[in-house]
Amino acid sequence: MANLTQSTASRLARRIGDRGPVREFLMFALAGELYGVELTRIKEILSPPPITTVPRAPRNVVGVCSVRGLLVTVLDLRRTLHVEERPLTRRGRILLGAAESGEVIGLLVDEVRHVVRLAATEIEPAASALGGDVSEFVLGIGRPAGEFLILLDLPSVVSG
Amino acid sequence: MAELSDKAREEFFSEAQEIIETLSRNLLSLDSTIKAGISDPSLINEAFRAVHTLKGLAGLFGAVRLGALSHRLEDVLDDLRLGRINLGQEVLDVLFGAVEAYTRILQAEKSDSDDDLDVDQQLFAELERIGAGATQRESPVADYELDPGLLAVLTEYEEHRLRANIELQMQLYRLRVQFDLSTIDKVLEEMKERAKRHGEIITYLPTGEATSADTIELDLLMASRDDLATLIGSLGADNVVIEEIPRRARRSHPATQPPRRPTALGRADSLGMQPDLERVGIEQAASLRSLTQTVRVDIRKLDHLMNIVGELAIVRSAFGRVAEKLRGEGQRKLAAELQRLHRNFDRRLGEMQDGILEVRMVPLGQVFDRLARVVRQISREVGKEIRLVITGAETEIDKLIVEELSDPLMHMIRNAIDHGIEPGQGRVEVGKPLAGTIALNAFQKGNHVMIEVEDDGRGINLSKLTEKAISLGKLTRSEAEEMSRDEMLALIFLPGLSTRESADDVSGRGVGMDIVKTNISKLGGVIDVHSESGIGTKMTITLPITLAIVSALLIQAGQHTLAMPLSSVSEAIAFDEGAVRLVDGREVITLRGQTLPLCRLDRLMEMESASDSASRRRFVVVAALGQRRLGLVVDFLYGQEDIVIKPLGKSLSGVRGFAGATELGDQRVGLVLDAAGLIEEVLAGGEAPRMLERASG
Repeated sequence: MANLTQSTASRLARRIGDRGPVREFLMFALAGELYGVELTRIKEILSPPPITTVPRAPRNVVGVCSVRGLLVTVLDLRRTLHVEERPLTRRGRILLGAAESGEVIGLLVDEVRHVVRLAATEIEPAASALGGDVSEFVLGIGRPAGEFLILLDLPSVVSG
Repeated sequence: MAELSDKAREEFFSEAQEIIETLSRNLLSLDSTIKAGISDPSLINEAFRAVHTLKGLAGLFGAVRLGALSHRLEDVLDDLRLGRINLGQEVLDVLFGAVEAYTRILQAEKSDSDDDLDVDQQLFAELERIGAGATQRESPVADYELDPGLLAVLTEYEEHRLRANIELQMQLYRLRVQFDLSTIDKVLEEMKERAKRHGEIITYLPTGEATSADTIELDLLMASRDDLATLIGSLGADNVVIEEIPRRARRSHPATQPPRRPTALGRADSLGMQPDLERVGIEQAASLRSLTQTVRVDIRKLDHLMNIVGELAIVRSAFGRVAEKLRGEGQRKLAAELQRLHRNFDRRLGEMQDGILEVRMVPLGQVFDRLARVVRQISREVGKEIRLVITGAETEIDKLIVEELSDPLMHMIRNAIDHGIEPGQGRVEVGKPLAGTIALNAFQKGNHVMIEVEDDGRGINLSKLTEKAISLGKLTRSEAEEMSRDEMLALIFLPGLSTRESADDVSGRGVGMDIVKTNISKLGGVIDVHSESGIGTKMTITLPITLAIVSALLIQAGQHTLAMPLSSVSEAIAFDEGAVRLVDGREVITLRGQTLPLCRLDRLMEMESASDSASRRRFVVVAALGQRRLGLVVDFLYGQEDIVIKPLGKSLSGVRGFAGATELGDQRVGLVLDAAGLIEEVLAGGEAPRMLERASG
């Protein structure tokens, strides 16, 4: 309840506009952590269709699937981020995003939560929060109302 | 360029491109007719019309540079067709230069850049220089019994043709012909076509003496080297009267001219310009008709249609399943009805698929024309005389393949001219004709199109080639000693190999053949090389006819359902584990007296094996491309299906062995095997090539 009040307060504060420009992030769960990617980077959220594994593919590639006739390569975000692997549950989703090459890539995540709006003051840049040696995938740490959100740069995740 | 909608711009570019290609074709034909010592005025005329149209188009779309070039070029071509300039190789060079300039300008316009303006200036200067050489000539026409009134209505061009023909010592004839009004266009064209064998129809005018309301009588003025009897034999008919137009005995004695029947040609002055206008009208109507029957379509739209057809095919399969289900539930009547609909749908879908495929097909002539230009250019650059012989330009292939073919073919031709064909003197010394011959042959063979690039040059020097490969560390001397001839020849496809020591501006430093090979295999094709020392080299490209939709064999290997394009499958047989022999660590079987190397697909791909793989009957799918064969051991054959191949994304471009993926129905995706890649990978073994010949028996 306290949380709720707090986030209501921060939403109100944002509406008043005293916290600068805000960015919208889609929050999702993966291996017990919460992550966020900028909403504008996501084309679509899908329930996973049957995925065909591709022999000899890079390790982080789950396989390929068809999205209304479009062939999409699906990456396992767990493998990209080197976190513990676990089979998908029925809450598993695929986030569709575009790589730097323009190719549409699917990103397998455990569960999609909701959209959060973060002001610049609520984002810690990766370098200052985590030190110099951070993967290029991580944009920073988001701290909306006491939560801990790892913000990912979708284009570099799906291009890497 | 002025602000235009994207669509209009696209239209403009593709139309301009087409016109430039026509122009290029005309110039090439002109080049060959000049070499053969004939002059075909219709070619210069077509070139003139092409440039004229382009000028109009450029004006319409505000393409200033295009318009300026067309304007100058039009002047020169006009001088050419009116005989004010003589057409020679030098003039042709400048004209070809203009074609290159057009292409460059179009590209610049497309990307909205303004480079290369100085090159234009140089070209303009050359066009000016040629134009300045134009002369006005004395008319020899007066030698003939032609009414001055006729001469008055001749266009400048017709007058030039008349003059040119007289200079060539042609005899003039008058053909009086009755035409049926309803068929005059067609019959007149046919007549012109037939007349071409004997000479040329210079002009035609109505006589005004129609025998009935449905007919019209024309007088045709024709120049020919053949005599009257020959012409009557060839062109004569009930409705055709042919007469010779006599030469005046002497120019200075017009009084001695024999009495003549009044003819239309003689009375042309009274008719004024009317006939000429009428004729122009007919021509314009004809060209408008042909325009409206053609539609230019972006190939992506066809891809989209093809995708829809692919999806409909999935719907069709679902129909089949529902029908089966109904039958199972005892609803026989309903099932039969649905089955009938299913069959009907199936047939129509097939027709639609064929229709879309047909639209995608274009003749290889499109790319061959461009190559002919390249041959001409290079042969003049390096000072070697080259005769290009093209056969099978009408062979059709997928538009996308044609686009991707021009670079590889250009590399091959450049190599042939530079490395293959000996310099002129060298050829004469070995008893070959001075002019080197490059043959470009295309033909269809089953589901494949074969393209051969053949030269009659010195052939590939195998010992030099292997030495070079050894010095580059591509293979060891002992490996080289064990290689067969074909394997040695295949060395030219290794990166960085060239048999000529010096790099030059034509083929560079052995650039190309490895890239050529890569590009061809991207199209699902293979390239084979055959060479005889001193006799020549022949490269053969084998390509699938289309990339859009292919018949494929669906197979099971490990846990995977895979598709193998049928075009590269020669047969499938039951696998007998006991017949496998091990040669030098490789599995082979004997198929009809020949050794067939084997590849266990599940092992090669490191796929999980099928759970019951040990007990189950397995199969060998024999993949064959060109001369090479490979037996793929698979777990199950599902049968044949038409599939739409979609390329794997860029993130999977490093994965070898797959040509793409396809939808299998029920939302599943199946991978499509890349037969060419697999054969290459397994037979080359990732190490030094081995001699499979040794393995037989």
